[in-house]
Amino acid sequence: MSAVSVPFSFNRLALIASNTFLEAVRQRLFNFLLLLAIGLVASAQFFRDFNFGSSELKFIADFGFGALIFFGSALTITATAQLFFSEIENRTALTLLAKPIWRAEFVFGKFLGVFSVIGVFCALTIGLMMALLWHREGQLMAANPEAFEAGRIMRYGDLFMVGVLQWLKFGVLSAIVLLIASFSNTNLYTVVTGFFALVICHLQYLARDSWGNVDSLILRSVVRLLSFVFPNFQLFNLSDEIGQGAGLDPMLAGRVALYAVVYIAVIGGLAVYSFRNREI
Amino acid sequence: MNTSIPAISIQGLTKDFAVTLRGVKLRAVDDLSLQVEEGQVFGLLGPNGSGKSTTIKIILGLLEATVGEVKVFGVPSHQVESRRNVGYLPEAPYFYRYLSGYELVRFYARVCGVPKAQLKARVDDVIDWVGLSQAANRRVGTYSKGMLQRIGLAQALVHDPKLIVLDEPTAGVDPVGSAEMCELILKLKRQGKTVLITSHLLAQIEDVCDRVAILDHGKLMVEGSLLELVGQRDRQALIVDPLPASDIEALREWLASRGHVLNAIEQPRARLDQLFLSKISRAGHLGGNPGVGSNVVPKSSVPKSSSSAPSFTPKA
Repeated sequence: MSAVSVPFSFNRLALIASNTFLEAVRQRLFNFLLLLAIGLVASAQFFRDFNFGSSELKFIADFGFGALIFFGSALTITATAQLFFSEIENRTALTLLAKPIWRAEFVFGKFLGVFSVIGVFCALTIGLMMALLWHREGQLMAANPEAFEAGRIMRYGDLFMVGVLQWLKFGVLSAIVLLIASFSNTNLYTVVTGFFALVICHLQYLARDSWGNVDSLILRSVVRLLSFVFPNFQLFNLSDEIGQGAGLDPMLAGRVALYAVVYIAVIGGLAVYSFRNREI
Repeated sequence: MNTSIPAISIQGLTKDFAVTLRGVKLRAVDDLSLQVEEGQVFGLLGPNGSGKSTTIKIILGLLEATVGEVKVFGVPSHQVESRRNVGYLPEAPYFYRYLSGYELVRFYARVCGVPKAQLKARVDDVIDWVGLSQAANRRVGTYSKGMLQRIGLAQALVHDPKLIVLDEPTAGVDPVGSAEMCELILKLKRQGKTVLITSHLLAQIEDVCDRVAILDHGKLMVEGSLLELVGQRDRQALIVDPLPASDIEALREWLASRGHVLNAIEQPRARLDQLFLSKISRAGHLGGNPGVGSNVVPKSSVPKSSSSAPSFTPKA
């Protein structure tokens, strides 16, 4: 009997993503981390009492990005692991995967759902930070007009771009956690290993920098291989380049964005391959 | 319709699970061969650990066979295409608790590719068919076990599959819910659907199945129609009004004169579940008036009669 083929469907993928998004926003953890991040960003408002002048704006931006990176990383790892394992542990995956659906649709649907949640988180946090900066910059302009003769010094477009790059970095992290979850048996193992991966990805540039100092060819090769296996999250830390001075190089931002997209695609593909063989 | 293609064909199926890192394996299914014809209600029986759920998961493409071949309507079960015509109700189903019953069935309908133009009608019909219209807008998290089974059946049927796989559909459900599930299975049978069912409640299996297979330790112990397996072709039972002892003795002698033997005289008994259902008032099929959100099929929402039971396929 010749069966009617079931092609890969972006509609089904979007359905799974929207369902994952709905589940995530109803989780208390998301609300808790979102409130914490917003609270932390808003607390930068209190620094106006110090009146650091224009450098205060850079400080507020760094403070905001610090909150975004810290809570965003925690949210990405926990939400990805939780949303994946809730399907397995609650057996909803059984019902869903018994439908005419590709496992790739399931994995990438989960990814897109989490990625959307993180996108909302980033948008709200960055939006609040930019609003605070705009407000504070206005106050500083009124108090010290000579320091702002050329108008506003904050580059809000660059701030937005760095926010987008952080979002993409969280996307890479989410793909890594999905890859771990695709073969892991427990949520806890996935979360712990995800945090280890986060640390390795943030510090791998140290290994990359040091390979030139190692004599052993084998060790050099291993370090080099590992530096490709784990994405370099330091590349996404472009907040130093914004706020004052020349601003963010669009070509650099584009290359970093491409770097993230490639890693998401490759790691996501590996997660699909691993999940294809998983026994539900 | 090509009737020569069985709904499910299992040939030499073996499934091993690795249980230790050293490669020690547990054989869950051992050289199983079965065939389920289209339109049959087929019961897969066996004690815990006999391989029933593993077999079902392989049929659904959730597990890969170690050895052997499983086909669903002629398509190998590991292919996504094989699940196009399959609806599945898992054992003790858990669904997305944050969705309402309607949203849940709609979600699965869209996953199964029900056309948008038919979506609402199909979802409404199937929810009505399982008797949950009054609770359709409640969150699934507030449903009772019986209602979960019903909404589970609704999601299994929403794309109008030809084969419905029910894994322990009455597990943990009270006798009323169990009886109603059996009624629904019989209605599916009347609509020409193929149903594969596993259950520990053998009396219920007996009520609804055409054929059964019994598994133990992954092996097929016996398979056949209920009449073949449990019917006693060389015996007959006559049920009469109570007879005095003298009449029974006369009957025995009369039978003996014709070369027959009166083997047993017993008091016929109703089944306990039938007594239970007759004594409680909330059973919808017994004429009760379920309140909003009850897990009982309201009379108005049950198909009108068994002979004219409509398909859950939306009206054109």
